[in-house]
Amino acid sequence: MAAHNKEALLSLAEKTVRTALQKGAAEAEAYVYEGKATSVGIERGQISKTSRTIDHGVGIRVQIKKAIGFAYTNKLEDAAAIEAAVGEAVAAASASNPDKDWKGLPQKKPYASAPPGMFDPKIPELHAEDLVNLSARMLDAAGHGDKRVFAIEGGAGAGFGSNAVANSNGVSAFDEGTMVECSLATLAKEGNTVTPVCFEFNAERNLHVNPEWVGKEAARLAVSSLATQRVETKTYRLVLTQFALQELFYYTLINAVKADSVERNQSPFKDKLGTQVGSEAVTIVDDGLLAGGLRTGIFDAEGMPHQKTPIIERGVLKNFLYDDYTARKHGMESTGNASRGAYLSTPNIEATNFHVMPGTKSPEQLLSEVEDGLLVSYLQGAHSSNPVSGEFSVVATPAWRIRKGKIEHATRGVMLAGNIFELLKNVAIVGSNERKMGQLVAPWLLVENAKVIGK
Amino acid sequence: MKDLLTKVANTAISRFGAQYAEARGQNLSKTIFTMKEGRMEAAKQGIETGVAIRVLVGGAWGFASVGTLDEAVLVESAGDACAMAKAANARIKEPVKLAPAKPVDARVEAKPKQNPAEISIEDKIKTATETTKVTLSRDSRVKSCTFDYLDLTGKSVFCNSEGTCIEQDKLYVWSKITASALQNGVFTFSREEIGSTSGYEIFETETPQTIGTRLADRAIQQLDAKPPKGGVFPAVLGPNVVGVFVHEAFGHLAEADLAMAGGVLAYNMGKKIASDLVTFYDDGTLEGAFGSFKYDDEGVPAQKTLLIKDGVVAGLMHNRETAQKFQAQPTGNARAEDFRVEPIIRMRNTYMAPRDRDFEELLGGVKDGYFLKSFRGGQANLDGTFQVGIQEAYRIVKGELAEPVRDASISGNTLETLLKVDAVGKDFALDSGRCGKGQTAFIGDGGPHIRVSEVTIGGSA
Repeated sequence: MAAHNKEALLSLAEKTVRTALQKGAAEAEAYVYEGKATSVGIERGQISKTSRTIDHGVGIRVQIKKAIGFAYTNKLEDAAAIEAAVGEAVAAASASNPDKDWKGLPQKKPYASAPPGMFDPKIPELHAEDLVNLSARMLDAAGHGDKRVFAIEGGAGAGFGSNAVANSNGVSAFDEGTMVECSLATLAKEGNTVTPVCFEFNAERNLHVNPEWVGKEAARLAVSSLATQRVETKTYRLVLTQFALQELFYYTLINAVKADSVERNQSPFKDKLGTQVGSEAVTIVDDGLLAGGLRTGIFDAEGMPHQKTPIIERGVLKNFLYDDYTARKHGMESTGNASRGAYLSTPNIEATNFHVMPGTKSPEQLLSEVEDGLLVSYLQGAHSSNPVSGEFSVVATPAWRIRKGKIEHATRGVMLAGNIFELLKNVAIVGSNERKMGQLVAPWLLVENAKVIGK
Repeated sequence: MKDLLTKVANTAISRFGAQYAEARGQNLSKTIFTMKEGRMEAAKQGIETGVAIRVLVGGAWGFASVGTLDEAVLVESAGDACAMAKAANARIKEPVKLAPAKPVDARVEAKPKQNPAEISIEDKIKTATETTKVTLSRDSRVKSCTFDYLDLTGKSVFCNSEGTCIEQDKLYVWSKITASALQNGVFTFSREEIGSTSGYEIFETETPQTIGTRLADRAIQQLDAKPPKGGVFPAVLGPNVVGVFVHEAFGHLAEADLAMAGGVLAYNMGKKIASDLVTFYDDGTLEGAFGSFKYDDEGVPAQKTLLIKDGVVAGLMHNRETAQKFQAQPTGNARAEDFRVEPIIRMRNTYMAPRDRDFEELLGGVKDGYFLKSFRGGQANLDGTFQVGIQEAYRIVKGELAEPVRDASISGNTLETLLKVDAVGKDFALDSGRCGKGQTAFIGDGGPHIRVSEVTIGGSA
């Protein structure tokens, strides 16, 4: 499979659109994806697995009498299969109910210039050996020094994907990107004590990952989770790491700023534009053009330009996230937030790089602001948060007790209960140590008045 | 497809030096849609084909997935998988070995009363529309209703270099329906999930009327509910909560790969870890259940696997690799979501066996506690801590059900909690769900109503 096949993908997308129009579609869109991923897996401390996945396919969205149909197939080399899939999409639209809010597929718009560093030409050329070496460096870094640490699983992966989207309104666009990541899950054992699983990773759009750092950090986290003590039930100051923020935000805050959640009464932010929803310390931007961002690209999953959308500015709610459909329904413009599971699904609204703007205080300075509190690294159970109200009740494991600005010991059996939207108002200080984690780009946050249920 | 896959597996051995090879080819069709407040998002149909090739070379795995049945590409991919495995096996200290499995030549046919592939998409949309109508018209405070539907049909063919060749029909029907209600600024949320491997006839029992009513009533009832007091309480757990507890809190610890990865069960084989009343199974043989199948994705027959018997750890869930490590038999738990991924150890239908108590007897033993009827989500860690979010719960006061509470959750240490099971009901129910472990698997879980003497209830009060 060729790495650079812009013309082939674009012409397939455009041809599929024409076929759909011939078969009776009033409007049509084709999304073609081609990707290759190679990975090396660690199990129980040794590199024992390798994998290569080559995936490609086309997803076809059609509109007939304001009803939408969609079909996909991965049989790209088979013209009859693509034609059959187009037929399925047309049949699905004919069977479906009209959507009175349908205003049409996206209209062509100009794109911003490509952000740097989305595609590293060295990545498609990587061999399994390169990833074995990367994993070995990570394992060696984790294994140094401490017999109590066990590397459970992890590995290294490299992938590239390209996509072309075309529709009957003139959209015709191609983009490609690469990604490399390495990760390691560890735990530590001492006597009869087993720590929770600790996890560290590094993902980048280019080859500049740091496997030694990942290995060292994963080992350090596990060791520092040994020797736990319980804590009193009361209100504390919390320092939340990016892992904790990602868990909390994903199921609540990010949903709350999606325009379709708002429209469906599934967001407490309805009617709150322009009002204070967080503390003045909080500024969040959805930035689809962020240099090096893991979700960065020129356009979104329906060919609308990526952009930088202010979400919360000094605590004030500024905008919601839109795809083209939801935007036009409300007389707005798409914010370039359509996302899709490659060729397998229709677009839905998703954040790109959800960027919590950093402050000036280092992690040490954040900790020094805490007289009595907890440093919370990972959360369990955030996915059972109430996505509508933002209420959560989660286990913090591991979490560390902070006293007089210093980390004192690991804890066990700590539950955090509260409401993510209240938490946002209680953000006192924003750290400077930002990092990328999936769609979240954020530093540590110091939060006040957090209810902790301990012993 | 059988001949092609056998040839690919054998070529990996003869030409590329594999010690073991398998090829799993699939032809799958899916229908998927989402309806929100009666509005169709898009009706989706999918057709996909592909082959997963897995080889063992010098004790390391090589895996390759390609979306084609083209022989030349498959042979090339087999070579690629072998070359990658060779790159990895240089550093291997404990080479991967497989427990023996008897070669099987079989054809497994699905025999649905109503084959979802033959039901028109119009009829499927009608079921969703009716359910939405029932839900939204139940009460004006119900504000939203989302109906997710998926069916998957097709064929999976597995052939390996040991002479096994199995052709199995695949058939799944699944739906998740959620509703939200609003009153005086309080939002509540309610969900139902149904699934079957029998056929579309599941909607004859789970009719739009029954699902919609249950969904709407729960969301409405929660509006007046108060968050619970946090703390340690006795509790009665409904089958739906027992199921998610058995699956999330215990089941994952009994997956041999996770047990080996440092989970607490590895040290506890044959030991008493739970109350005498606790017996758990993971069962792939329940007819029509969402987690059932005949052969797993390593060609091993599914079975009913005893995990805990009367409080004593009796076994783990294995694939061929972990069975070899533990000197146990493979249990038929190796499952792959599709041809894009390799098989890993997954649960099937995981449940607690019923005993002898009535529901009233269970409540009768509780002076001040909670009845946790239905879950929202659950999660557990290898160290044996768990958290289960609850979507429907009630206080129990002096042995009687009292007012509803909302957004409760339970947490604790799984093994400590299992020791605190002090009464087990005689009823039984199994729920359908999906489990994520990198890949999605369709599973069932359940049990009877049970009582635990102590569990930590988290709430926002």
